[in-house]
Amino acid sequence: MTHIKTIETRNLCDSAKNGGCGECQTSCQSACKTSCGIANQQCEQKADK
Amino acid sequence: MIHQYKLGGYSIVLDVCSGSVHVVDDVAYDIIALMDGGCDDREAILARMGERYPDLPTGEIAECMEQVLALRDAGKLFAPDVFEPMAGELKERTSGVVKALCMHVAHTCNLNCAYCFASQGKYHGERAVMSFEVGKQALDFLVAHSGTRRNLEVDFFGGEPLMNFDVVKRLVAYARSIEKESGKHFRFTLTTNGMLVDDDVINFANRECHNVVLSLDGRKAIHDACRVDYAGNGSWDRIVPKFQRFVEKRGGKGYYMRGTFTHANPDFLEDIKTMLDLGFDQLSMEPVVCAEGDPAALTEADLPVVLKQYEDLARLMIERRREGRPFTFYHYMIDLTGGPCVYKRISGCGSGTEYMAVTPWGDLYPCHQFVGEEPFRLGDIWHGVTNDAVQARFAACNVYARPECRECWARLYCSGGCAANAWHATGSVNGVYKYGCELFKKRMECAIMVEIDRQFGESDE
Repeated sequence: MTHIKTIETRNLCDSAKNGGCGECQTSCQSACKTSCGIANQQCEQKADK
Repeated sequence: MIHQYKLGGYSIVLDVCSGSVHVVDDVAYDIIALMDGGCDDREAILARMGERYPDLPTGEIAECMEQVLALRDAGKLFAPDVFEPMAGELKERTSGVVKALCMHVAHTCNLNCAYCFASQGKYHGERAVMSFEVGKQALDFLVAHSGTRRNLEVDFFGGEPLMNFDVVKRLVAYARSIEKESGKHFRFTLTTNGMLVDDDVINFANRECHNVVLSLDGRKAIHDACRVDYAGNGSWDRIVPKFQRFVEKRGGKGYYMRGTFTHANPDFLEDIKTMLDLGFDQLSMEPVVCAEGDPAALTEADLPVVLKQYEDLARLMIERRREGRPFTFYHYMIDLTGGPCVYKRISGCGSGTEYMAVTPWGDLYPCHQFVGEEPFRLGDIWHGVTNDAVQARFAACNVYARPECRECWARLYCSGGCAANAWHATGSVNGVYKYGCELFKKRMECAIMVEIDRQFGESDE
C-alpha cells in the first residue's frame, strides 16, 4: 500500500547547477507590487524549452 | 526542515530544502512528525505508532516507515539546508546589473483613493509628469546597466500613468527601436485605475504590454468607498465597463484584475466573487499597505477573517475548476516544476539592486514603495547609483539576512519578504513584517493544496 504520493517538483539542489542566470521576472514588478513571492514565477530557462 | 499541515481534505508534507511536496496518509503524517520532532529510533517509532493505530497490522506500519525512510534517503524528506553559502552569490555575480524599472511617468492621479500608499500619486512631493527626455534616459540607463540580461522589464506606474499616455507611447516606440541593436527585449506592463482607458489605450496595451494590471476592489460599495475622484464620487460605474472591454479585447493575453483589501473588507472573497461575476478570471487581491493606526490598516482581529478567506478562496478555485469555469489568483499560481532556481529563491526580491523605481525627475529609488523617502534615494539616471551605503543595505537583503526567515518553512517561497513592508512595519529593511508573513504562509499552504488537488483530486473521486 502506498502511504505517500509525491508531487513532481523542481529539485532545488539540482537547480543550483545551471541556475542563477537572472533572466527571471522581478518578484513583484508586474502584479502585486506589495509582496515578495517567487513561488509563482517561471524559470526563463525552463520556459524557453 | 519539514512543514506539515492538513487542508482541503489532504495531509500535506513539505520538505522545505529539497522543495518536495508529499500527500500522505495519517500514519505517514504522524511518523514524519515524530521524526521531525527528533525521534530517529525506528523501533521506538514503530512502537509509538502501534499504540496510536492499534487496529493497523504491524506490517502496514513498518511498510509506511520504510517508505518514509526511502524518501529521506532519496533526499526528499529531511533534506538539509545547504544553500546559505550561495545567498550572496547571485547578487555578487550580477552586482551593478539592473534589469527592471518601475517608471513613475505620472506623479499625479485622477482618483483620490483613501488608502493610496503614494499619497494620491504625489509620493509626498509635488505633482509632476515624466518628460520623454527623462524617460528615454531611463531606458538608456536600463540598457547600459543590464549587462548580459536580455529580458528587461519596464512597468508604467504612477499615480495614474495614462495621465501621461503620449509619453508612454513614445517611450515604448523608442525602446522597440533600440531592441535589435542592443540585443535586448523589453517587457512592458501598465498599471492603471481605468479612468482614461479607451480604445486607443486598449489597442496599444494589447499590442505592446506583456501584462496589464487593472485596479478594481470588487464590490461596488467597497470600491467606491475608497476609489473616488476629487469630487468624492466613486469610480466603479465608470471603470468596470472599460475594464470589461479591455479584457475582452485582450484576447487571452495576460492581465490582473487587482484589488486592495483593507480593514473595511477583510471578507475580500466577496469582492473576488464580484470580479468573477463581472467576467474577470485573472485576479489578484492584495492587503493594503499603510501605516499602523491608519483607519484602513488591517487589525489583529481581521487576521482570522482574512486567513479564512484564503482557505475559502482555495475551495472556490477547486470548485470552479471542476465545473469548467476556472480562474487564476496571482498568489496561487504556484509552479512546482518550472519555478525559480534556488539562487532566485534565496536572493531576495532585487529591489535597490536589479530593480529600481524612477521618478518623473529621473531620481532612482530602491522600489516604487520607497519613492519620495529621501534617505532612500539611490542616485539618478544620469549619474547612476551614488548612494552606495543604501544600495549595500538592499544588496544584503536575502533569505538568510533575518533570523526569523532562517527558521521559517516558507522562506524558499517568499525569498525573504518585502523590504518596504519590513521598513514600514519595523523601521528597518531587514525587519520582519510578521502580519504579512502570516498571510503569505497561509497563501502558500492554500496554493500548494490547490495544485495537489489539480493533480490528484480528480483521480481520487
